[in-house]
Amino acid sequence: MTAPDLPAAAPPAGGSVPAWIRKRGGAIVIAIALLLLWEVGVRLLGIKEYLLPPPSRIWLEFAKRSGTVMGGAWVTTQEILGGYVLAVLVSIPFALAVTYSRFMENAVYPVVVFLQIVPKIAIAPLFIIWFGFGYTPKLLIVFLLSFFPIVVSSIAGFKAVDPEIMDFARTTGAGGWKLFARIRLPQALPDIFTGMKVGAALSATAAIVAEFVASDRGLGYLLLQYNGNLDTPMVFAVIFLLSFIGLAVYYTVEFIERITIPWHVSQTNAGQAPL
Amino acid sequence: MPQGAAAGEAAAAGAASPAAPPAHIEIDDLCQTFRRAGMVTQALDGVDLLVAPSELVVVVGPSGCGKSTLLRIAAGLLPFTSGRVRIGGRDVTGPQTELGIVFQSPVLLDWRNVLENVLIQVELRGMDPRRYRERAERLLADVGLGDFQDRRPRELSGGMRQRVAIVRALIHDPPLLMMDEPFGALDALTREQMRIDLEKLWLAQRHTLIFVTHGIAEAVALADRVVVMTPRPGRIERIIPIDLPRPRDKAAVTSARFTEYVDEITECFMRYGVIRY
Ligand SMILES: Nc1ncnc2c1ncn2[C@@H]1O[C@H](COP(=O)(O)OP(=O)(O)OP(=O)(O)O)[C@@H](O)[C@H]1O
Ligand SMILES: [Mg+2]
Repeated sequence: MTAPDLPAAAPPAGGSVPAWIRKRGGAIVIAIALLLLWEVGVRLLGIKEYLLPPPSRIWLEFAKRSGTVMGGAWVTTQEILGGYVLAVLVSIPFALAVTYSRFMENAVYPVVVFLQIVPKIAIAPLFIIWFGFGYTPKLLIVFLLSFFPIVVSSIAGFKAVDPEIMDFARTTGAGGWKLFARIRLPQALPDIFTGMKVGAALSATAAIVAEFVASDRGLGYLLLQYNGNLDTPMVFAVIFLLSFIGLAVYYTVEFIERITIPWHVSQTNAGQAPL
Repeated sequence: MPQGAAAGEAAAAGAASPAAPPAHIEIDDLCQTFRRAGMVTQALDGVDLLVAPSELVVVVGPSGCGKSTLLRIAAGLLPFTSGRVRIGGRDVTGPQTELGIVFQSPVLLDWRNVLENVLIQVELRGMDPRRYRERAERLLADVGLGDFQDRRPRELSGGMRQRVAIVRALIHDPPLLMMDEPFGALDALTREQMRIDLEKLWLAQRHTLIFVTHGIAEAVALADRVVVMTPRPGRIERIIPIDLPRPRDKAAVTSARFTEYVDEITECFMRYGVIRY
């Protein structure tokens, strides 16, 4: 298709690699600059290592003990992924049920909303009592924390169909399944992904807190150990690693979003482009 | 095809005469009252209207007088307070499907490109979209969107979106078309062209067409009969048969007769204080 009146049209959907660098390049430069400033600043001011080690020292310590730390990272990653995937698998059908069933909406959903008020972290010790020290309580806490944002925004998405679009659809006589597949689901996807990204961001936090409460492995466990020994470089190494895991989960979801709903992603990017 | 019964200079059209030819749409003493959060709005008050098969009826009226409400009720999209509405002799109790409808806003699907937005109509009807592809492409080309089939709605202007919505309403060749200010978002030039094209299309296909507009000249240029509505609560002030030759070319829309019709409707609105000079 040619479009003679829009010669300078931006590349459709997605966005190429150079565009990505142009968009994130600034952030990368700033991150590197901050690390440099940190390194130089700590050395010039002679700040003690147990208070704030320079990045180079953190890296060296991490390299030395990477076996232990990466082992812990793998444990934590499993907790995050397990809990998060479970949350996605449960929350979206649940949101559907609330959208389509009066009973679920009137009776079950309010209870869920109320439960959401309960500080879920406070439940963590209970889970230890019930499920012990292993994988299960961590998985459940990750599940619990990421479940709610996904449910809430999925419900909002399923319910937010433009009434006029529904009016149009009703004049076609299409049945419930078709309306769902062709209209309700696609238009809810942006909201579902928003919830999934919030859930993803929470999942790493949830795993660490769960490990703080009681565990004998994982990054949260290691973090407490290193902290107890005033091994600050390793504390920082763990924090960095955790952040990377969180980012990886988040960007995986964003990547899936990009290929699932390019129409929405490209539209929001187009809005940002001129800035 | 002006029908004999309901017309004339007399005030509102008389009650449906039983001798009239079988009407495509029969609206009988239709009243609509909205109650919302303690607020009561009477939108329609005793509307009577017969639309014959293949007739082109244009409804004009001030903003908020209930034109959209009338269309939505006729399409079975809105339950009404009292009265009777029939399409093809059957009472309207739920959404009507033997029609194509254009809403006041384009209501396109963001995730589909222009061609897919047109074809959703046949997909939802359980028909094979591949068999309608060619027709969709032709209709899109007819409304000047031939080069935009692959674009998403967000990449189109408001007028272009509305044209997509019009094509979507036509794709399945329905016997009845309802259009709620379909040209509202168009510039004056495109609007005139669309009006000409719509008449051409209607002359070729002869579907029944109910068309809502604010534009008095547009109404006269298009209509077999113009239905003039009063300010809210909407009643039919009068129904004016337009006796101008078709197609309504430049000569027709600049003729003295044309101007007289426009003046007659304008004076109606002046009397109701809708237009003040
Ligand atoms: N769903 C609704 N709930 C409450 N009031 C409504 C509703 N729909 C319409 N109304 C009221 O009914 C009246 C008629 O509305 P309608 O949309 O039919 O007007 P209209 O003639 O199409 O106006 P316009 O030319 O501006 O589109 C308005 O006063 C409006 O406030
Ligand atoms: Mg309206």
